[in-house]
Amino acid sequence: MARNFINLDVNPCKMCMPMGAAIAFKGIEKSILMMHGSQGCSTYMRRHMATHYNEPVDIASSSLTEQGTVYGGENNLKKGLRNTIQLYQPKVIGVVTTCLAETIGEDIDRLINEFVAEEEIAKDITFIPVATPGYGGTEYEGYYLSLRKMVERLAEEGSNDKVNIIAGNLTPAEIRRIKEILESFSISYNLLPDISKTLDAPYSKDYQKLPDGGTTIEEIKSMGGAKATIELGALLDEKISAGQFLEDEFRIPLYRVALPIGLANVDKFINALSKVTGAKPDPKLTEARGRMLDAMVDSHKYNAQGRAAIFGQPELVYSIATLCLENGLVPALLATGAKTSKLEELLKKDFGLAVEDTVIIDDTDFDTIRDYVNKLDVNILIGHSDGKFITERDGIPLVRVGFPIHDRVGGQRKVTIGYDGSVNFLDEITNTLLDRKYSSYREDMYDKHFTG
Amino acid sequence: MIDNKNLLENLLSAYPGKSMKNRKEHMMIKDSGEEKQHIMANTRTVPGIMTNRGCAYAGCKGVVLGPLKDVVHITHGPIGCSYYTWGTRRHKGRAKDGEKNFISYSFSTDMQDPDIVFGGERKLKQAIKEAVEIFEPEAISISATCPVGLIGDDINAVAKEAQAEYGIPVLAFSCEGYKGVSQSAGHHIANNNFMENVVGTKDREPKTKYPINLLGEYNIGGDGFEISRILDKIGYDVVSIMTGDGTLEEIKEAHTADLNLVQCHRSINYIAEMMEEKYGIPWLKINFIGVQGTIETLRNMAKYFDDEELIQRTEEVIEEELGEIKDVIAQYKKMCEGNTACLFVGGSRAHHYQNLFKEIGIETVVAGYEFGHRDDYEGREIIPDIEMTADDRNIPELKVTKDEKRYKLRLSEERYEQLKKEMPLGEYKGLVTAMEDGQILIDDLNHYETEVLLDALKPAVFGSGIKDKYVAQKMGIFSKQLHSYDYSGPYAGFKGAVNFARDISAGINTPTWNYITAPWKNDPEIEAELGGAS
Repeated sequence: MARNFINLDVNPCKMCMPMGAAIAFKGIEKSILMMHGSQGCSTYMRRHMATHYNEPVDIASSSLTEQGTVYGGENNLKKGLRNTIQLYQPKVIGVVTTCLAETIGEDIDRLINEFVAEEEIAKDITFIPVATPGYGGTEYEGYYLSLRKMVERLAEEGSNDKVNIIAGNLTPAEIRRIKEILESFSISYNLLPDISKTLDAPYSKDYQKLPDGGTTIEEIKSMGGAKATIELGALLDEKISAGQFLEDEFRIPLYRVALPIGLANVDKFINALSKVTGAKPDPKLTEARGRMLDAMVDSHKYNAQGRAAIFGQPELVYSIATLCLENGLVPALLATGAKTSKLEELLKKDFGLAVEDTVIIDDTDFDTIRDYVNKLDVNILIGHSDGKFITERDGIPLVRVGFPIHDRVGGQRKVTIGYDGSVNFLDEITNTLLDRKYSSYREDMYDKHFTG
Repeated sequence: MIDNKNLLENLLSAYPGKSMKNRKEHMMIKDSGEEKQHIMANTRTVPGIMTNRGCAYAGCKGVVLGPLKDVVHITHGPIGCSYYTWGTRRHKGRAKDGEKNFISYSFSTDMQDPDIVFGGERKLKQAIKEAVEIFEPEAISISATCPVGLIGDDINAVAKEAQAEYGIPVLAFSCEGYKGVSQSAGHHIANNNFMENVVGTKDREPKTKYPINLLGEYNIGGDGFEISRILDKIGYDVVSIMTGDGTLEEIKEAHTADLNLVQCHRSINYIAEMMEEKYGIPWLKINFIGVQGTIETLRNMAKYFDDEELIQRTEEVIEEELGEIKDVIAQYKKMCEGNTACLFVGGSRAHHYQNLFKEIGIETVVAGYEFGHRDDYEGREIIPDIEMTADDRNIPELKVTKDEKRYKLRLSEERYEQLKKEMPLGEYKGLVTAMEDGQILIDDLNHYETEVLLDALKPAVFGSGIKDKYVAQKMGIFSKQLHSYDYSGPYAGFKGAVNFARDISAGINTPTWNYITAPWKNDPEIEAELGGAS
């Protein structure tokens, strides 16, 4: 069963669509997001992003009040856009809807077209509207849909030598790592989105309201003429896939690969890069692969004692499950709050018998996850900070990864992708198992062999 | 010396015309030479200026309801709102033996597309059934999010029906996010419901001679634990706490107290007022933040009860507690003295914390509230002059009358008037009284204004919340979260003051500030050397 309760979500394992949009738009150069709706939405999401990234997160709101719900939010949205432009001078404004705007039927496309026609200050700004009702999906869909809408709006027909990389919801440090890999292939690329600096900016005394960095408009435009797209996301629906759009609209070959966590997934990513560039990977990468393999051989004996529950966004769950499987660590439970049948389909296809006993649930909550964790004798949790709900009750350790990590520092700096990132992450998992083992193994031995 | 008038003028010049006019009214430089100074507050947020304010749901479910331990709080709506209020406010709750505690849970009806189209009442009914059957709570609260009111779900009818069916209180709160202009609307909605449906529904005999309620204390970071420790030590009988570490069961009996203590005036003054009217319980504005504030509060309370034994016990406890902390505080004061602070927080904290900062030698030069009303700035005497707006009228004003059965006069009229001269009985004089001439009061501060003010005034500490914390820290200014305490606390009472002094001192004096400039930035020779070597 996917959930303990049919009508009640007890301790959610998901967030709402606009949250995903907020992260995606932070990866666009000099962009700001306007949430059309009640101001609580932008406040909540800024708060959550700030706890994870430890960065200023400015998200504007049209601050709709009761009056706006009756007469429409047009005035508030336009006034809000004017003020935001004046104060932030952005190049791009993402305009997303919320539950409120969607329920009262706000037509943001029309409102933006009107605004652009009416306002002189709007003429050099790129607007990207995205419909993200909170009841329409989770942050997972909101993230990829926003990327698709950016590309739909901006990509232009053309021909260039670049490779498009559509990044999944990775950390800023991971985006930096992706860039290093791309640079090792000496290719020019469009990386969408690029939060490497915007959500992990270096300290500098001169504060910038809109930090440097991010994918530029020109880069998104040129995505329509690239020679290939590699999309990091193995499970996403075609309707929210920017890569799919580029293939359908501009016939750009699409390689869809999982988030490059785990040896096989990194291989697939590197292989795709190798294929589209026609170049062999840098020897450093091959060396890193060998080192990872070596580490895997060395620590398999510990990992084989692990029974993991992995939860969070579907793409992350899939890739971490792969990492566990290739190391003999049993993924006893895979759980995501988003709705997806692909997680199960793809894992069964790729791993067959190895995942026969794995419980795979979607559209679930932490109350359900906790029950399975206990039923399935799970001894390690892998996922975002909200898993601490289970750790605090049942004492099962949690390896934090994904979004949000709000009760530890460094979530924005964590690297789990690539060969070296994967092996460090694997070490963290292995050491967590060892920690648990060594903290109690004498008692366990005694209980087992002497007191029977 | 910075000219604050010029500073504000420069700050305002970035706004388009109408927004400039609007924002100007929300700022004030204190000048006691003027007869009466005014500031605009609790009006609609200017869209698009990056307000820090939240919504009515946040004020209702997040602030007032959330801390109640024995209640299953169901958020009726799509998942986000419930997720974002799950454990994020750090209101602590410790269940006594046999008590239930749902503090670490988040319950949502997780509305989906079809629920918005066809209505969510059925789902809500079923969700309540599921919650009752599995969790067996003492009560259930239902908080509405934006779509609920718009699609016409009648949560009051559902609540009424469920209450009859399950025999436990089921309270419905129409706190849709778009109501009012900030979270303040949500406080009011929660207050009204407590008065209408909870307070006065169960009687109780006092355990000591001094039964009191503690209102507007939410036990952030354990503040309430420290306050309760002190009150217990002196011998008070705390009937109920609204709502930190509190239970709905206790609020039912709140009418049996003889004094209401009001910590956060903004979020709870409605109940304090209504309980005085309905049950004859006077309220006292107190402040357990800061050592002097705590001492004054305790003395006022003792004087109110006019009992020699209590007065003596109070003095004993003060002496004992002071003895334990004063040397440590003095030590931290040496490390913090001479610095300044800017405070932007809440509807009370920008005032309360000034005392505590002062005690470690830090002067507050700018203070403002996120969702305060004019009376929180200017004092309650301004209340009759505050114009009702359309947004205010959307929150029903609850009228209470004397409860003939339970009304009890606690003080004679003469004694009440006498005490009123000696302590803030039924009175709050506002933030402005804490400020010195020339200092800035600013309402509904946003990120842009934060940046300008911090850049010009360069305080040693910015006391605010998580959303603007990193704006300040990116500018090299230590920022202390006064909403959630950065996973620290308690800061209230005697022992809390020590924690606060320690945390502030650590922030101001962290060695990190010494490393901001890289050595090669100051030393042209190093650059030359390196250049030469390559």
